[in-house]
Amino acid sequence: MDIVVCVKHVPETAEAELKIDSTGKNIEKTGLVYDINEWDDYALEEAVRIKEKQGGTVTAITIGTEDFDSTLRKCLARGADAAIRLTDPKFQGSDAYATAKILHSIIKNLHCDLILCGLQAGDDGSAAVGTILAQLLGVPHATMVKKLELCTGTAKVNRELEGGLEEILEIKLPALFAVSTGINEPRYVSIMGIRKAMQKEIKVLGLADTGLTEAYVGEAGSWLKTEKLYVPPVEKQAEFLKGTPDEVATKIAELLKSRGLI
Amino acid sequence: MEFKLNNEQIEIKRAAREFAEKEFTPELALEYDQKEEFPLGLYKKAAQLGFTSMRIPCEYGGQGYGVLEDCIVVEELCRVDPGLGVAVSLGNLMVPDVLLRHGNEEQKQRYIPPLAKGEKIAAAAFTEPEHGSDITRMDSTAKKTGDEWTINGAKEFITNAPIADTFIILCQSDPNAQPSHRGQSIFLVEKGMPGLEATKLHGKMGIKPCVTGSLCMSDLKVPDANLVGELNKGFYYTLELFDGTRITVAAQAVGMAQGAFEKALNYAKTRKQFGQPIINFQAVSFKLADMTIKIEAARLMMYKAAWLYDKEKPNPVATSIAKAYASRVAMEVTDDAIQIFGGYGYLADYHVERFHRCAKITEIYEGTSEIQKLTICNYLQKQT
Amino acid sequence: MTAIFVLAEHRQGIIRDITYEMLTKAHEIAQKTNTELTAVILGKSAKEKAKPLTEYAQKVLIIEDQKLENFTSDAYQKVLSTLIKEHKPLLTLIGHTSYGIDLAPRLATELNIPLATDCIDLAFEGGTFTVTRQMYGGKVNTTATARKAQSYMATIRQAAFQPQKPQPPANGQIIEQPSPLTEEAATKRFIEYVLPPPGGVDITAADKLVGIGRGIKDQANMPQMEEFAKTIGAVLACSRPIVDKGWLSNDRQVGSSGKTVKPKLYIALGISGAFQHVLGMKNSDLIIAINKDPNAPIFSFSDYGVVEDLFKIVPALKNKINELKIQK
Repeated sequence: MDIVVCVKHVPETAEAELKIDSTGKNIEKTGLVYDINEWDDYALEEAVRIKEKQGGTVTAITIGTEDFDSTLRKCLARGADAAIRLTDPKFQGSDAYATAKILHSIIKNLHCDLILCGLQAGDDGSAAVGTILAQLLGVPHATMVKKLELCTGTAKVNRELEGGLEEILEIKLPALFAVSTGINEPRYVSIMGIRKAMQKEIKVLGLADTGLTEAYVGEAGSWLKTEKLYVPPVEKQAEFLKGTPDEVATKIAELLKSRGLI
Repeated sequence: MEFKLNNEQIEIKRAAREFAEKEFTPELALEYDQKEEFPLGLYKKAAQLGFTSMRIPCEYGGQGYGVLEDCIVVEELCRVDPGLGVAVSLGNLMVPDVLLRHGNEEQKQRYIPPLAKGEKIAAAAFTEPEHGSDITRMDSTAKKTGDEWTINGAKEFITNAPIADTFIILCQSDPNAQPSHRGQSIFLVEKGMPGLEATKLHGKMGIKPCVTGSLCMSDLKVPDANLVGELNKGFYYTLELFDGTRITVAAQAVGMAQGAFEKALNYAKTRKQFGQPIINFQAVSFKLADMTIKIEAARLMMYKAAWLYDKEKPNPVATSIAKAYASRVAMEVTDDAIQIFGGYGYLADYHVERFHRCAKITEIYEGTSEIQKLTICNYLQKQT
Repeated sequence: MTAIFVLAEHRQGIIRDITYEMLTKAHEIAQKTNTELTAVILGKSAKEKAKPLTEYAQKVLIIEDQKLENFTSDAYQKVLSTLIKEHKPLLTLIGHTSYGIDLAPRLATELNIPLATDCIDLAFEGGTFTVTRQMYGGKVNTTATARKAQSYMATIRQAAFQPQKPQPPANGQIIEQPSPLTEEAATKRFIEYVLPPPGGVDITAADKLVGIGRGIKDQANMPQMEEFAKTIGAVLACSRPIVDKGWLSNDRQVGSSGKTVKPKLYIALGISGAFQHVLGMKNSDLIIAINKDPNAPIFSFSDYGVVEDLFKIVPALKNKINELKIQK
């Protein structure tokens, strides 16, 4: 089974204070630590597990600058066999649609039985690239995949619905699946993996290799254009309780008592 | 000259950091600091990922990297927690080094792979109750009868002694040798051999998850096949060993300093006094700047010593410089970190006091700072 | 007259809230753009569900087909692309839900209609389709404009809008169209629903909940959390990462892929407040959040906040509450 995994290199922002940069269209990125997008991490792990069980290859693909190589190297170290980075200044400003177009231009020429990607990215959260890519490739797909079972020529997937409900679908291969977090437990990068990864080359391709013209990539090829970023207005601001842990605990306990909650 | 790690080293650093950050949780660190117990599960996990066998060649189940890559890992592990970091990275302490250099093929094949894979734990026993920095004479003796050696004596402050499966023990094999260090030999000993007894030492100031103990050898019978390398060369084997391990101690020190520094920086940015974050006060911010300068210098010295070891040849002076300086920096930076935390810094829950307690060992083991300075002075005296 | 389409979402016979939320917002846009609000409902027996939609929309388009009994994005895509090609609505709204996420990007691509996903606000400003979305887990908002087109599409975040029936009710006209589906989809087949395992804890019935998140850090801290919950007489609930790690079963999960709760007290421990979680708990009577990160979005949804390591507050609070209990 040959598998392509689409990955993205994103800043970790869960515990960071974000500021808008001077263009107003991006966040201030200095000081942020980048890593593989959390959802893609699970997609990669799923791909490697399938390969380990059934044989075949895993190719990781991303669109981005040289910095993105570190995420690709992580993929290689965790078990991917090949890595492709698509890079071109013209790709700047691509939305989900243009991104999918660029990926499609390369993936359509790769042999693959399965395409895996994360449900969404932690930065823009579009949750759309995979599904658009599936349409462009003309293969069936499923998103929010929480369990993936491969049979001959088909896959049985559990999709998460709301409220703890799941549905099971049977989907013909080749197909594209956008996986949810929790589908597996991603492994650590091992030193053995790093050694192997360093022997593998990251293939770098540009706009010319995609066969696309400028009109299809970047802002020109996008459905959406970012106008501005801003820190969201506070709906309701919590009243902050301050003091030593003991003082804070006393305040909370009194609050609960006054509301008859204890 | 290039002042940056290559891509492979960056990946190693990142992998070690990710592992340590996810596994060495503050709660676990506190727990093991209190329990004084070796984190066996963590050690095995780290070993399976290759973090504990960086310098062991691939053919013996290791990773085949140099001292520099090993130091990168050690720094990252100690940055997250000094106790767990030291314990995990010292699981196969020194034994593979000695065997790789001087052991015969059979000894290498038999003893190194289980250590590389984390299946077994090693202890290297040099220090004695009466001989710490001065190992030119050993009170532990090895006497040969037929094809067997009988070892008698005691060893003190031995890392991993209570939990190790494989030991190397430095003994006086020729009591009449002049000078005495020309009559020392190293023997391989296994747990469970009659006459070998280990006792756990309690109440260490820091690196508590790294268990330490004493060894008592009474009529311990060891086959001649367990002699490592040549007879009466043990002293020299031991000295050359320190050239590498001392750089690793410098890496521990840099990691501890870095970890405490980051905690202090973070605290200084969030802790408010007089209506503003305390980092706005020069008394605090200059301290942080000084800490940064010291850590950077210590790291570069450590990198240089490691680089020389890997690329040219072990350089005892560069090694001693790195160890003496980095360990002092670790003491100073962790001290400053406590100061920045104020009263909270004095509490275990805020972690920096543990960094400080742990840092002290780096000035003591693998040759005290005074011994490092002696090495440097010897070199200076020889300069014309 | 051009239309605004709203795809009614239903599952297991029930029209889902997102439908009314979208209809409410679409009603406002339809008035401003002078378009006709059209609810679109597909299903095996869609007609019987159409009634409440008529209160919101001027038209309710119904496609009934045995093959639409259960949602599959394939079948929905075929039907909707036919409808959109025929009616050329100015805008089509679909929920940013497990169904919408599976359907909308593919449908928009087939029709080459600009799509904005997971919108929390949208408008036509001077003829330009403008949306508000969130990035970086809700820490940043973004305004984006769509490429000029005849028709647009957006998926709408759940609970972004409060449903409100138009007054007077729209009294919409029900129009049934034939299904364009000719055969069962060949590539994707719905097999069954999997219900969450029974016999678990019903967090929706609890008066008090202690919600735990990523900040718990280690499974070894779970007993401490359970004990704390017990001390204040609460049930333990959690955000998604805890379920992903297998520390609690998914019947404890609060949020869009878990349960929606409305207890008298919700204490959020180490929960950053991603909207998926907030969606499930923001209507609790009293919310107290404890988080190290002063910028955690959870504080925007809480009544009281504590910026501190939860492992310092929790033991102290447990002691205080025990003291109060003894005093009684």
